[in-house]
Amino acid sequence: MTTLPPTTAKIELRHVTHLYVTPRQAFMAVKGIDLRVEEGEFICLVGPSGCGKTTLLSLIAGLEKPTAGKIFIDGVEIKGPSRQVGYMLQQDYLFNWRTIEENVMLGLDIQHIRSKETEEYALHLLEEMELINFRHSYPHQLSGGMRQRVALVRTLTCQPDILLLDEPFSALDYQTKLKLEDLIIETLRRHKKTAILVTHDLNEAVAMGDRVFVLDRNPGRIRKEVMIPPHIREPLPFYARNEEGFTTLFNQVWKEMEASSHGTD
Amino acid sequence: MERTDVERIHQAYLREQRRQKWLVTTTQLALLILFLGAWEWAARAGTINVLLFSYPSKIWAMFVEKISDMSLFPHIGVTLAETVIAFLLSTLLGVLIAAVIWWSPFLSRVLDPYLVVLNSMPKVALGPLFIVGLGPGLLSIIATTCAVSVIITTIVIYTSFKEVNDNYIKVIKTLGGNRWQVFTMVILPATIPAMLSSLKVNVGLSWVGVIVGEFLVAQNGLGYLIIYGFQVFNFTLVMVSLLIVAIVATLMYQGVAYLERQLTSQFK
Repeated sequence: MTTLPPTTAKIELRHVTHLYVTPRQAFMAVKGIDLRVEEGEFICLVGPSGCGKTTLLSLIAGLEKPTAGKIFIDGVEIKGPSRQVGYMLQQDYLFNWRTIEENVMLGLDIQHIRSKETEEYALHLLEEMELINFRHSYPHQLSGGMRQRVALVRTLTCQPDILLLDEPFSALDYQTKLKLEDLIIETLRRHKKTAILVTHDLNEAVAMGDRVFVLDRNPGRIRKEVMIPPHIREPLPFYARNEEGFTTLFNQVWKEMEASSHGTD
Repeated sequence: MERTDVERIHQAYLREQRRQKWLVTTTQLALLILFLGAWEWAARAGTINVLLFSYPSKIWAMFVEKISDMSLFPHIGVTLAETVIAFLLSTLLGVLIAAVIWWSPFLSRVLDPYLVVLNSMPKVALGPLFIVGLGPGLLSIIATTCAVSVIITTIVIYTSFKEVNDNYIKVIKTLGGNRWQVFTMVILPATIPAMLSSLKVNVGLSWVGVIVGEFLVAQNGLGYLIIYGFQVFNFTLVMVSLLIVAIVATLMYQGVAYLERQLTSQFK
């Protein structure tokens, strides 16, 4: 059962359990999570609110230390935030007092790796996202979708191998969201990144992911893993939605979600 | 709808705006003139005690006289210098203390009751201690003023430090930032608007501190003029001093407000 697989996974969670302790109670957010993510994979986590999706991201990002269990990246146990992991939040959280360019360079400043080369790479990413003309603008001059694209560039500038996406589309309007989904998938594939997306939009999860995990709550556990077949996972999310079998998969995930939400606690 | 119609409606709107603004200004001026006129009239008719309230015309005459013989300027200079120094010092100290207690949650919990007590206490009551400790002069006036405003500055700025959205801190942390970087890259820049608006409060508090300090010890300054005028029962002098305090304090407040607008223009 617990023998090591022959190859090291990009991300591996072994029996991860995490508790949040408050004066009133100790609350088990996730319990006994085992998860392997291979290099270049796009994983989606869905589940009812309170199932510990965001907790898992925080743990993988090294923002919190799991109460029990271990997390490995490239076979090395993580001890804290690392340069290998980029994190994208629900909202862009751009710094209003910095220009777009300075916002994008934030990670370089923090890690003291700002040089001509890294700056050029950041500007190249801005160009890829069609934001280069706004490099001297301030965030409040940009639309929501543009701002979230800047946030993506900010995350990618430090060249992480792994991207953690915490509902990055939830604050956007539907049209912008669909476009950004495609853009993110394209960008991640081009740069060969591994990604974990947390979302409560099942449609989005099926359209974007290579594998979808449905979580249970109280405590958070993996309930079901759904594999997305190649003909749905290969096209961009916008087209994946029109592929045959998409609705069937969606319904399958939907049923799991329903069962998870109404399951006995 | 024709383009000219749109233009016409916009023009009408602007006209109405201008009219409103003119109406407000006129009413403000009328109110001031009415007040001064009533004062002058009441003083001449003997309905109010002129020894205490003087006459607007006499106050104005003394104001002009003191300005033209330059005898007021040293007093204004001294008081202004004290106010500005004390204001800058207490703001700086307030930010510094706030930063220290932000840095150490333990210290912030330890210091909490002390801050509450110090904040509730009327700090001008410490005046005598400063006079004995620092000597009757500039130093004790500045110390009194700092005592008046530093605690509230600390509390206001520390509160604004804590109110910074955690997700901004998360951004820094996920990029590998340490606590010092969280402070310099998020906490400090994000709270500049809050700090500037606490500066505006501090302007008023600094004037309170300086005037009271001058009441207690000074040989010159506007507070000294007020207390001197009171001792020789020259209430015209008291009124002139009050007028100048009002003017200078307003200018200083407007200066800080201008600074606030300039520095926070991109914080929308």
